[in-house]
Amino acid sequence: MAIIAPDSLNKIKGTNAAPEKTRGKRSRRLQDNLTGYAFLAGAVFCFALFSWFPMIRGIVMSFQRTRRGVTTWVGWDNYIRIVHDPSFWTAWKNTFYFTVLALIVGYAVPFFVAILLNEFRHAKGYLRVLVYLPVMLPPASALFLFKYYAYDPSEAGLFNAVLKFLHLPTSEWMQSPGMTIPAMVIASTWMNMGGAVLIYLAALQNIPGELYEAAELDGAGIWRRITNVTIPQTRLILALLAMLQIVATMQLFIEPLILANGAGTQDSATSVAYLIYQHGFFQNDLNGAAALGVIMLIVLAAFSAVYVRLTTKKD
Amino acid sequence: METRTLISHAQLRRGRGRVIYWAVLTVVVLGFTLVFLGPLYWMVTGAFKSGLEIAQTPPTLWPKDPQTQNYVDAWNNLALAKLMFNTFYYAAGAVFFQLVFDTAAAYALSKLRPMFGNLILGLMLATLMIPAMVLIVPQYVTAIDLPFVHVSLLDSPWAIWLPLVANAFNIFLLKRFFDSIPEDLISAAMVDGASPLRILWSIILPMSRPILGVVSIFAVTYVWKDFLWPKLVMPSPETRTLSVGIYAFAGGTPQNIVVAASVIAAIPTVVIFLIFQRNIMSGLTTGSLKG
Amino acid sequence: MSVPQYRKVAALALVTGLGLSLAACSTKGDDSGKDAAGKTTITVDCQPVGAQKELLQNWNADVAAFEKDNPDITIKSVSVGEQCNNPPDFTARLAGGTMTDVFYGYMTDLQQVLDSGQAMDITQYLNKDTIPTWDSVDPALKEVFTDAGKVYAVPVKNYSMGLVYNKTLFQKAGLDVNNPPKTWPEVRDAAKKIATAAPGVAGYADYSAGNTGGWHFTAEMYSLGGGVLSEDGKKADFNNPMGKQVLQNLKDMRYGDNSMGTRQLLQWGDLLTNAAAGKVGMFIGAPDTTQAIVSQFQGKYEDWAMGPLPGQDGAAKGTLGGGEGYFFKKGLTEDQVKAGLKWIAYEKLTPGKGQFDYVRAKPQNYPVGLPQPLLFANGSAAQKQELDLRKANANVDTSNYALFENNPIPIRGEPKNAQAIYAVLDGAMSGVLTKPDANIDELLKTADTKVNQLLAAGS
Repeated sequence: MAIIAPDSLNKIKGTNAAPEKTRGKRSRRLQDNLTGYAFLAGAVFCFALFSWFPMIRGIVMSFQRTRRGVTTWVGWDNYIRIVHDPSFWTAWKNTFYFTVLALIVGYAVPFFVAILLNEFRHAKGYLRVLVYLPVMLPPASALFLFKYYAYDPSEAGLFNAVLKFLHLPTSEWMQSPGMTIPAMVIASTWMNMGGAVLIYLAALQNIPGELYEAAELDGAGIWRRITNVTIPQTRLILALLAMLQIVATMQLFIEPLILANGAGTQDSATSVAYLIYQHGFFQNDLNGAAALGVIMLIVLAAFSAVYVRLTTKKD
Repeated sequence: METRTLISHAQLRRGRGRVIYWAVLTVVVLGFTLVFLGPLYWMVTGAFKSGLEIAQTPPTLWPKDPQTQNYVDAWNNLALAKLMFNTFYYAAGAVFFQLVFDTAAAYALSKLRPMFGNLILGLMLATLMIPAMVLIVPQYVTAIDLPFVHVSLLDSPWAIWLPLVANAFNIFLLKRFFDSIPEDLISAAMVDGASPLRILWSIILPMSRPILGVVSIFAVTYVWKDFLWPKLVMPSPETRTLSVGIYAFAGGTPQNIVVAASVIAAIPTVVIFLIFQRNIMSGLTTGSLKG
Repeated sequence: MSVPQYRKVAALALVTGLGLSLAACSTKGDDSGKDAAGKTTITVDCQPVGAQKELLQNWNADVAAFEKDNPDITIKSVSVGEQCNNPPDFTARLAGGTMTDVFYGYMTDLQQVLDSGQAMDITQYLNKDTIPTWDSVDPALKEVFTDAGKVYAVPVKNYSMGLVYNKTLFQKAGLDVNNPPKTWPEVRDAAKKIATAAPGVAGYADYSAGNTGGWHFTAEMYSLGGGVLSEDGKKADFNNPMGKQVLQNLKDMRYGDNSMGTRQLLQWGDLLTNAAAGKVGMFIGAPDTTQAIVSQFQGKYEDWAMGPLPGQDGAAKGTLGGGEGYFFKKGLTEDQVKAGLKWIAYEKLTPGKGQFDYVRAKPQNYPVGLPQPLLFANGSAAQKQELDLRKANANVDTSNYALFENNPIPIRGEPKNAQAIYAVLDGAMSGVLTKPDANIDELLKTADTKVNQLLAAGS
C-alpha cells in the first residue's frame, strides 16, 4: 500500500518516530479514551449509517420481499430469481470481459504514457494538461461525445469517417455486439486515464536517478531498466491502483447506460451493476437488486482474498 | 539541474539520440493533440452545427452556418447555472466534511489511540473492499428513511456529504501520514499543556498540508465523477448535479444542445485546472504516493 | 502554494463550508398543506421544461390566472424533465416518496403506484363540483385508473398510435402522399423506395432501447391481432407466429432491404431527433409525436402526415392506446385534494382553458387540430365544445390527419406491468435491428422466459 513520506519532517528530526511510547498514568487513560472517541465520533457515525448498517441491511433485504408496504421473509427466493434472470450470466461475462480488457488497456496505457512523459524535456506541461483534459468533462458529457460523434454507426460518425478515409472497414461500434465492450473500454480509458497518469508521474519522479545509472552501467537496455528499476520502484503504487481499478471497473455502469442506452444489443452491454439498477429501479424489485449486490460482494471478496494472497506471497 | 530518468540526458542530446528524441516528441505531441484535443474541438464546433448538419455524411470539419443559439438554448433550457452551482456546492461540502471528520478520526487513531481503536480502524478498512454498487440499494433505502429518526435525505446535500465521510481510503492516507509525525513533538506540546485539539490544529495540520491537498483533490474529483448515487438521491431538477442533469435532459433535447451544454459545463473546471495545475501536480508528487 | 496562500484558502473553505451547511439545514417545510397566510399549497409536477418555451409560458400564465381566480390556493410547479415519466426516475421518486402532491403518471403505472403504497383513493372527491366536466370524461379512461372500485387518478390525455410519415420524403420517392401504406408489406415497399431515393435516410424507423422498443413491439403485435400477455395477464404470449412476423417484418426492412438506416438502439428522443432532421420516412406513433418533433427537435409541421396503423394483410386489427393522468400523494389534506382537482380541471379538462386554450395556441409553434387528446366521451357536451374550438382555431392542416382520424382502429390498452415487460422486449427489438444473423426464434424465447419470470415474481 501507499506510504506517505513527509520527507521534510525526517530531515528536521533526523529520526523516524517510534510508534509506541509509554503513556501517562492510568487515571489519564480514561480521559484520553473519551477524547479519542470524541474525535472519532463524526466519522464513525457516517460509517455506521452509510457503510456498516447498509451492509447488514443489504443482506437482510436480500432474504425479504416488500409488496405494498408489507415485508415478508422469503428465504432464497430473491437469489433464485436473480440467478435465473436470463441476463444474469451475460452480465457477469460482460463485466469480467470489461474488467480484463480495461486492465490490459486502461491500466498499462497510463503507465507507459507516464514513463514517456517523464522522459520529455519539452512540452511536458502541455502534454500533462492534454491527458488530464477529459477528466474535466462531466462523465455524462464525455460519453455523449463518444455516443453522438465517435461511435455513430453511420458514415457520419467520426471514427467511421476516419476509417473510411483510410480505406479500412468501418464498424457499427456500440451496435455491433463484438465491439460493444472494446468500445466502452476505449471511451472509459480516454475519459479516466488522466488521473492515473498524474499519479504515476508523481511516483516516477520519486525514483532515485542513481538506480537507472547503475542499471545502465550493468548494461541494461531501456526495457530491462523498466522491468528492473521502474516497475519494482513503483510496485506498491502499481499494486494499489490495480486493485482500485479492478474494483472500479467491476462497477461498470454509466458507460452502458449512456453509450448503449442500457443493455445494448441483446444484453451485449449489460453489466452486473446495470442489472442491479434495472431490478431495483425499472422492475420495482429492490429486494432482488439487494440479493445481486450480495452476490457481487461475495465475488469481489473472493477476488480480493486471492489478490492479497498473490501480492503478499511475493514479499 | 534535472534529475536522471530512464534514459540519460546526455544520450538524448547527442547525434542519433537527439534525432530520435525530437522525432518521438513530435509524434507524441501531434498524436496527443489529436487524441485529446481533437474530440474537444469536435465537441465545441459540433455544438455550433444545426441538427441537419450534424446528421450529414461525411461530417463537416467546420460548421457552415454557426448557430450560437445552441449555446444560449443549452444555458437556458438545462438551467446550467443551477446545475453548476449544485455540483460545486456538493464538492465544497464534501471537501469540508471529509477534512473535518476524517482528519479528526485519523488523528484519534494515530495519536490518541483510544481502546478498540484498531478494531474500529479494521472495520473501516474492511469497507475498502466493498464497492459502492454493492451497497447502493440498502444505502438508498437508508437515505430515504433514516433509521430511528425517519427523515428522508432525498434532495438534501447531506445525502451526498455524509456517505462521503465514510471514506476509509482517506482515513488510511491521513493516518499513515500522521503516524510519521514524530511523537516527541506531541509529547513536548502536551507537557506545555496543549489540548489534543490544539495539537491537531497547531502542530499536525500545518505539517500535513500536502496530504490534506490530496484528500481535497480526491473529494472534488469524486463528486465530479459520481453519477448513480446523485442520480438516485437528487431526483428533483433543482438539486441535480451537472452529470445527472445533462443525462436527464439528453433524452428529449436535440444532440447539438446537449453537446453545447457539455462544452459550457467543462469550462469552469478546465479553467480551474489550468490555474492550479502546478499545485495539483506538486501536491501529488511531494505529499503523496511514494512507491 | 506558499504558506499564507494555503491559510487563506483553508479559511475561505471553512467559512464557505460552514455558511453553506447552515443554509442547507432548512430544506423541508411542514406538512399541514397550508402556509402562514392560511393558503392551501400543492406541488404539481410535469411543468414543461425550458426547451418547450411556449408551453412553459402557457403553463406559468395558467398558474398565475388560476391563483388569481382562487386566491386561497398556491400552486408550486415542478419540472421533472423532458419526459415527465422516465421509468427509473419515476420508480426512484415512488420508492423515496419524493413525488409532488399531485403527480403525473402513465396509465400503465397504476399497479406500480399502488405497490408503492403512495397513492390516495380520490373516489369520493370526483364529481361535478371539483371537476365540472367530470361526467363528460370517457368512462373507459376512468376505468384505467380504477382498482377494486376505487379511482386513483384523473386522466388528462389519451392517444392511439398510427403511421406517421414524412410527406416531403414521400414526394421525393415518388410515393402518393395521400395514400400511405396500409399494410406492413406496403410499408416495406415504401421504405425501400424512400431509402433508395434519399440515401442516408431511414425509410422506416423503430425503437429498440429505453423501454420504447417493447412499447412499439406491443403496438405492432396489436396491429396483427396479437398481444403480449395471455388473457388472464399471467403468462407471456408473444412467442408465436405473430411475434415472429413482427420481428421478421423489421428484419426484412433492416437487413433485407437496408431501408431502416444504420443508427439503431434508438429511444424516444433519438428517433424524433432523426425525424426532425429529415432522416426518417415513416414510423409508428401518436399524433403528438409531430408536436415533439416541431417544438422540441426543431422540425417542421408541413412535412408530416398521419395514417392509420398498418396491419399484416389489410387494416390493423388493433392499435395501442395509452395516456396519462395525475395521481394524488397519500396523506394530503381534503383541501389539498380539492385544490389539486380544481387545478387539473382548469388546466387539463376545460374546453377553452389550459391545454384546450386553442385561441392562445393558434399563433404559437404548437399544433391545434391534432386528433388528440380524446378525453371526452363520444356525444358529450364537452367533446362537442372542444371539437368546435379545435376546428375553429386549427393551425395545422387537419387533412394531414384525416386518414388517421377517419379510419379508427380498435384501441387496446397497454399490458399490466408494461414498463418492466417493455424493458425485456427491448432485447428482442435490438437483436433484430442490430444483428444481421439474429435468430428470431431465440430472441422471442429469451424474452418469453424473462417476462414469465417477471410475472411470476410480481404476483
